[in-house]
Amino acid sequence: MKPLEGLRVLDLSWVVAGPVVTRALADFGAEVVRIESSTRVETARWMQPFIGGTMSAESSALYATWNAGKRGMTVNLTHERGRQIVRDLAGWADVVLEAFSPGTMKKWGLDYATLSADRPELIMVSSALNGQTGPLSSLAGYGNVGAALSGFQDIVGRRDDSPIGPYGPYTDFVAPRLALPVLLAAIDHRDRTGKGCYIDISQVESGVFFQSPEILAAFKEGRVAARMGNDDLEYVPHGVYRAVDEQDGDRIVHRYVAIAVTDESQWNALALWVGGAGLDRPELAAAEGRRKHAAEIDSAIADAVRRKSAKSVEIELQALGVPAHVSASSKDFCTDEQLAERGHLVRLPHDVFGEVTVEGPRYALSDTPGFPERAAPMLGQDNRYVLDEILHYSPPLIASLEEEEVLR
Amino acid sequence: MAFLAGCRVLDFSDARGLMAGRLLADLGADVVQVEPPQGSDARRREPRCGNDPASTSYLWLAFAANKRGIVLDLETPEGRGQALGLIDRADILIESRGPGRMEAYGLGWEQIKATFPRLVYVSITPFGRTGPKANYADSDLVMWAAGGPLDPHRDGTGVPLRPSVPQAYRQAAADAAAGALLALLARNRTGSGQLVDVAVQGALGTSTLGMVLAHAVGDVPRDRAGKPLDRIDQSGSGSGLPANMKKWKAADGLIEFHLGIGPAAGAFTGKFFRWMLDDGEPVERFAGLDWRQVPTMMERGQFTSANLEQARSAVARFLSGKTKRQVLDAAVERKLLAVPIYTTADLIHSDQLEQRGFYATLGEGDRAVKLPGPAMKVSIDAFDLRRPAPEIGEHTSEVLAEWDVSNEPVAREHAR
Repeated sequence: MKPLEGLRVLDLSWVVAGPVVTRALADFGAEVVRIESSTRVETARWMQPFIGGTMSAESSALYATWNAGKRGMTVNLTHERGRQIVRDLAGWADVVLEAFSPGTMKKWGLDYATLSADRPELIMVSSALNGQTGPLSSLAGYGNVGAALSGFQDIVGRRDDSPIGPYGPYTDFVAPRLALPVLLAAIDHRDRTGKGCYIDISQVESGVFFQSPEILAAFKEGRVAARMGNDDLEYVPHGVYRAVDEQDGDRIVHRYVAIAVTDESQWNALALWVGGAGLDRPELAAAEGRRKHAAEIDSAIADAVRRKSAKSVEIELQALGVPAHVSASSKDFCTDEQLAERGHLVRLPHDVFGEVTVEGPRYALSDTPGFPERAAPMLGQDNRYVLDEILHYSPPLIASLEEEEVLR
Repeated sequence: MAFLAGCRVLDFSDARGLMAGRLLADLGADVVQVEPPQGSDARRREPRCGNDPASTSYLWLAFAANKRGIVLDLETPEGRGQALGLIDRADILIESRGPGRMEAYGLGWEQIKATFPRLVYVSITPFGRTGPKANYADSDLVMWAAGGPLDPHRDGTGVPLRPSVPQAYRQAAADAAAGALLALLARNRTGSGQLVDVAVQGALGTSTLGMVLAHAVGDVPRDRAGKPLDRIDQSGSGSGLPANMKKWKAADGLIEFHLGIGPAAGAFTGKFFRWMLDDGEPVERFAGLDWRQVPTMMERGQFTSANLEQARSAVARFLSGKTKRQVLDAAVERKLLAVPIYTTADLIHSDQLEQRGFYATLGEGDRAVKLPGPAMKVSIDAFDLRRPAPEIGEHTSEVLAEWDVSNEPVAREHAR
């Protein structure tokens, strides 16, 4: 038994932030119908990595992982009859999730006020860069824009250089993590009271929430969070060090290992491991002392790491109780024995590729585990299923929709 | 009534898992933070108030906010007995102290699940509760490396860099809150609690934009001769682009702008050059160009990388004379994908966040703190923001009385 079995979800979102939320619902039993356009193909379908290395609208592994377990349908929303299909599906759904520019759903007569008029139990979620209200609500953009407006672009990089920003559209990674608990609590509340609600998520606010302690420091003391390479406010040494290069197929790749010392016993063990560099001085016992000699310590560690493999550094230091890990490449991640033990990667049969690998849920439930039941849909894959089995449209009606090119 | 009003959460988390309970508390749950007599380690984590090492931590103030606090000495039989009494009253237990730590107090999942069959037991560990790396030493940076987000993110020197504001445990803590509620929804149907097992390492693959999957799906982009291929990103997101290509200097800070080409982002680039043109810049050629067609034009040799460089130089000159505010206003007015790069100093003065009522002030007088509230608005009563982070042991007697622990025979028996 999955906890969300029977829950019906209409997913009008795209790229990452919305689909991450509905993927979690699908994993735990919800029936999720994803609406897309085959003429304005959604961004994630053109984003790497690609299955087999070949770029196509069906081969994005990013799309595959965030839409696994869902049904997929293509609908032309610029056509009134297309919008009627969505209206009918909204009448079927318990939860509607969308990520259009604020105002778009209203323009189409698909806003919460309209959809919930005779269905007070409906839960609707809108995900937008700045939310649905306020002076910036109309501002469009991808996750890099969200990362800029939430402060993340500024806090990755070296002190003395311009920032490089976080990897990828950072707010897309954190907004769904905050949306999901609220949506699940709303579902629980609806189950108990029969009352739905409208949830208006701001990706920018999500990014800011993830810096809450630093925001407090700014309010209280005017402190501005600063980029500082791989340094840490608290721990020294704290860095990413280059190990020996490795051959991967016909490529030479630079390998790195992350090392952090979080207490004195770890420092003693690391100093011993580095050996011969005079690091066992009493003045270096505490982090404040080490901070004054950070450059010396860093270069001693760098020298000790340089001629070893990143993996052997990880193993040697972890054996001594020092936090260390290879800076994991995709290959490391996919062959990681710990992730394998947890069954983190899930292989699903796929009609075209034979098989596709996706990530499993971020929470393992012992009695009612979640997992995707099927691979992500190909464009328009479930048009028939949705119109027949969910909406019970008649064959002539379906034929006329096809004829008028509404199902594209 | 907030969504989770009436739901009781007993929170044994340390600094690493502290945020999970905060998210449930904001939804109205009665979250009780359990601290040892010397106080939670989260009270000593950076960033801290001022430079005094004994001062309060902003991490604690932010993520213990909205919780009540009690002190239990789990080293003593009395403390463990009280813990069991409280667990008996709790719907959800959260812990993040590392594999085996709760077990050492007789409070591990396997040890207590038979006694408390309705309990949702949330365990956050760096790598997992079992397995070859379960006992690995951890830190935010080390987890960021192990979970995938670090490696693809390199600056000009090639060294992978993490965000300077630690993120690994915060991400996993949010996932733990979701996992807890999935288990609560399951309990509504089955009547049974269960273990919710969150590992930070596995949770972080989400923050790599699918890149951790490249090896598993066999993605090594190559041309016909087998030479690795650089792809032209046509998704419009600019996610595959070097970061410095998207950063521009303005008069008073930095601007984020992806000068995108191709069907998805080209139109935004066209709009940007039309802004420049209207502002008197001699960029007729670029403003008149259909940037959606540029990849095709480049393949045909009708537009060269030198042309693209000229366009970039014009943009750089133009933006260097604009303020962040001017760029933001133009972005809103003209729907541009160009925005200021905010710092925390900008964020605490943001009109947008102010008008949305995003920041909340909890507590009064000396204890008043202004901090980020929920990152969303809900049309009905969903949240309850009621108190600042507790002082050590502030609510011990109040909670023991309210949760009616001393009158509970099961707990007393178990405690002996």
